[in-house]
Amino acid sequence: MKRIASSLLALISLAWIAAAGTRAHYGGTLRVSMQSAPDALVLPAATDPTAYWDMARLLSLVGDNLVRVDAEDRPHPALAVSWQHDSTARHWQFTLRRGAKFHDGSLASAPAIAQILGALHPNWKVQASQAFAAAPYSRDVSASGDSLSIDVDAPAPSLLAELALPRNLILTRNAAGTPIGTGPFRVTEFQPGKSLKLVSSDECWSGRPFIDAVEVEFGKSLREEALALELGRADVVEATPEAASVRSHASSSLPVELLALVFTTNSNAQEGPLREALALSIDRKPIQFALLKGAAEPTASVLPNWITGYGPAFPAEPDLARAKALLAGSRSQHSRAGAGAASSPAGTATRPLTLSYDPRDPQSQLIAERIALNAREVGITMQVSMSGADDIRLVRVAVVTPDPALALREMAREFAAVEPAVRSNAVDDLYQAERSLLEGNAIIPVFHLPVAAAVGPRLRDWSPGQLGLWNLADIWLATGRPEDSR
Amino acid sequence: MRRRLRLEFRTYFWLISFLLFLPSSLLASNLVETASQLADRIASATGPGSVVLEVTNRSSLDDKTVGEARSALQAGLRARGVHVVAADQAMGRVNVVLSESLREFVWCANIAIGTDPPRVVLASWPRSGNAALPATLPVRLRTTMLFSQELPILDVALIDSSTAAMESGVSSSSRLLVLDATRVAVYARQSGRWEPEASLPIAAPRAFPRDLRGRLLLRRDHLFDAYLPGTFCRSSASVPLAITCSASDDPWPLTFSPQPATPFAADENGPGAVRAFYAPSRNFFTGALSPGIGKISTVPSFYSAAALPRSSYTLWAVAAVDGSVHLIDGVTDQAIRAARWGSDLAAVRSSCGAGTQLFVSGDSASQAEAGRDSLRAFEIPDREPAAVSAALEFSGSITALWSDAALTSAIAIVKRADTGWYEANRVVVTCAN
Repeated sequence: MKRIASSLLALISLAWIAAAGTRAHYGGTLRVSMQSAPDALVLPAATDPTAYWDMARLLSLVGDNLVRVDAEDRPHPALAVSWQHDSTARHWQFTLRRGAKFHDGSLASAPAIAQILGALHPNWKVQASQAFAAAPYSRDVSASGDSLSIDVDAPAPSLLAELALPRNLILTRNAAGTPIGTGPFRVTEFQPGKSLKLVSSDECWSGRPFIDAVEVEFGKSLREEALALELGRADVVEATPEAASVRSHASSSLPVELLALVFTTNSNAQEGPLREALALSIDRKPIQFALLKGAAEPTASVLPNWITGYGPAFPAEPDLARAKALLAGSRSQHSRAGAGAASSPAGTATRPLTLSYDPRDPQSQLIAERIALNAREVGITMQVSMSGADDIRLVRVAVVTPDPALALREMAREFAAVEPAVRSNAVDDLYQAERSLLEGNAIIPVFHLPVAAAVGPRLRDWSPGQLGLWNLADIWLATGRPEDSR
Repeated sequence: MRRRLRLEFRTYFWLISFLLFLPSSLLASNLVETASQLADRIASATGPGSVVLEVTNRSSLDDKTVGEARSALQAGLRARGVHVVAADQAMGRVNVVLSESLREFVWCANIAIGTDPPRVVLASWPRSGNAALPATLPVRLRTTMLFSQELPILDVALIDSSTAAMESGVSSSSRLLVLDATRVAVYARQSGRWEPEASLPIAAPRAFPRDLRGRLLLRRDHLFDAYLPGTFCRSSASVPLAITCSASDDPWPLTFSPQPATPFAADENGPGAVRAFYAPSRNFFTGALSPGIGKISTVPSFYSAAALPRSSYTLWAVAAVDGSVHLIDGVTDQAIRAARWGSDLAAVRSSCGAGTQLFVSGDSASQAEAGRDSLRAFEIPDREPAAVSAALEFSGSITALWSDAALTSAIAIVKRADTGWYEANRVVVTCAN
């Protein structure tokens, strides 16, 4: 009996020993593959989401924002450790982190940061505290300013979220245009369109990263990326959300992209009833399950539900009867006006509408064809094309911030629509603002999609950012031998 | 005596009832208020009359709460002259969807009355924000949650010499010191809660590394010392309490107090005391010891070490950075390559088994993926580790594990997977029989 008990103890001990893990190790080079092939280390527009996410991820390794925000839109200190604003939210005061340095050794002082932010936002009045205003980029710690103010013309309750955007990273540039920041990694080599090498910064205010370096290969297709991961030639690659939903080492963000139909300026489909009929014809569920493997959220709103919570107030279910009724009403109105068939709503008779899509997006064509099929079911003739003059575009746009008011304004800007007036982040105000943006159906939201990544087996403590960015400073490599730092 | 017992029972009963029902009563109050708000807005849109009410749940609210929401909404509508009826008697339809964002619960009501264009009204409210062990193994691990906060806790120290504290960990005269990257906070126990008493900011002379670790040790001639990478902080000896920090590469004491002079203050200068140098820009000890373990003054770089007293010597277990575990007796250094324990070890005295148990953190890959971690007690008879307790499960990962100065308990800091908050847990050993 005693023997059985001790065998059991030994067995428990072995099982325990075999399963245990360790704290983070230092060392090793992380290999990353990306689809985009940037010519410069500059953030592109959010309407090219793949390139946008890739560059935002890389630049956020090099630089820091004044503040950062989490998925719940709560601000957290970064280069600024505290902040306050006046009752109108026009005047903001920031206390900066002492001792933070750019990778070239210069201090991230208030004058230096004021100069960078001032150049990014000429309409803001950005000022360092007066005593130190004359000494930007000083290497002398004692000359470091510790306070910064920002004055804006209109109340800016979303200023912190604005400052947390990747486009507001505090970066300087050397003569070659290479970004120099205060972040965990510094750029050592950049071959436009081909590769980027980063090494960890020992002086980083948030601590040296665990890995020694990051090597990025650009211009890889998703298939090439998957193969590189499979063969152990890459540690982190991008993946499609639908692939992430079935792969064990893949993970997705919150839905941070919007797939939408957007009517072009010269579109033949200018009539409201036609646009509404098209919006009501789209059956999103089959696309969601058959093409996107459930990895997308059907939507009829611009902002995702995880930001607003009022998604159900914009029904995304098809209503074919109403769509047909709208078109019939529109046709009879035209007939009564005596305009004849020649001027009947575009797409409903002789003139087919053209729907274009992004050929770089592997699912885009299939989704566009499915939407065209839905449209035909209610009597709208639509052809799918990847080039030429188009009436409607199927576009993907990044949702760049979790702040609802700012996100709505950013989306309106990306769609070249009139920016809605958003009074506050209260659901009622947001709902009204979003309704006004969607009025006239110039934009027809279809899906919200996450962005996904897959990682290799030697990566530890990988936690994909909920907002689409990657935190590579906190990951470590299981095979990287720890160095003895004595 | 009986009267006192009855009073205590009554107090406990009310306390437990309060704690159990507090969250649900808060939820209920929010729910009724939001239902009333939505009912008001629906009634403004419909006017008095009869409607069909449909409630769909697309949020994380459970079925019971959804039922309560529906009832509250129906009551709210009725109070405003809007009656919920069957479809054939209704003048319109109200579809309510219970939805949510990361920040709040949002209820959307879609109102269709006759041929009027449908209207949407909204209401919202903000979201608010250990395992028992089987008795088949010789010892049990018992845990008491001492404190929690959003900022990473590096170490805590409980000051209490009362006998009540020995049993439960905390008494009414307790003080708690909490070390994080920015300060040492002092809390006093008042009415069953930790109330802040003092906050001593740490002026760090250099940037701290990631996976920051720190050690808080109580002292006899002053209150405490705090060890952080490349930084040493010392408290004043008298009130008002103050702290002085300076750059320092001095070795950290590896707590070992065979015969502590006081119940809670360390004696790392006594016989058998060992100190280890901590790498100032990393998350591990370099391996250099001063004084060493017997004749051994250098061991591989390690994350943690724990002393297991024997009759004629002390056996040290060291969790090396390369994943191996070293058993060092002062003469020999035996590596157990196969033993891939967690990174954190701590020794705790008890009246069970061999008298001192080794706590080992888990953090296996599968546990980490599930957002869990565990702690298990081992003994090492004949240099072969044997588990002597079941695993004590935590709902998050163990980020620090230190023995207290008297080795009567260990402090396990756990980062909760659900909230991201840090909890300081006091873990003690109790005998299974």
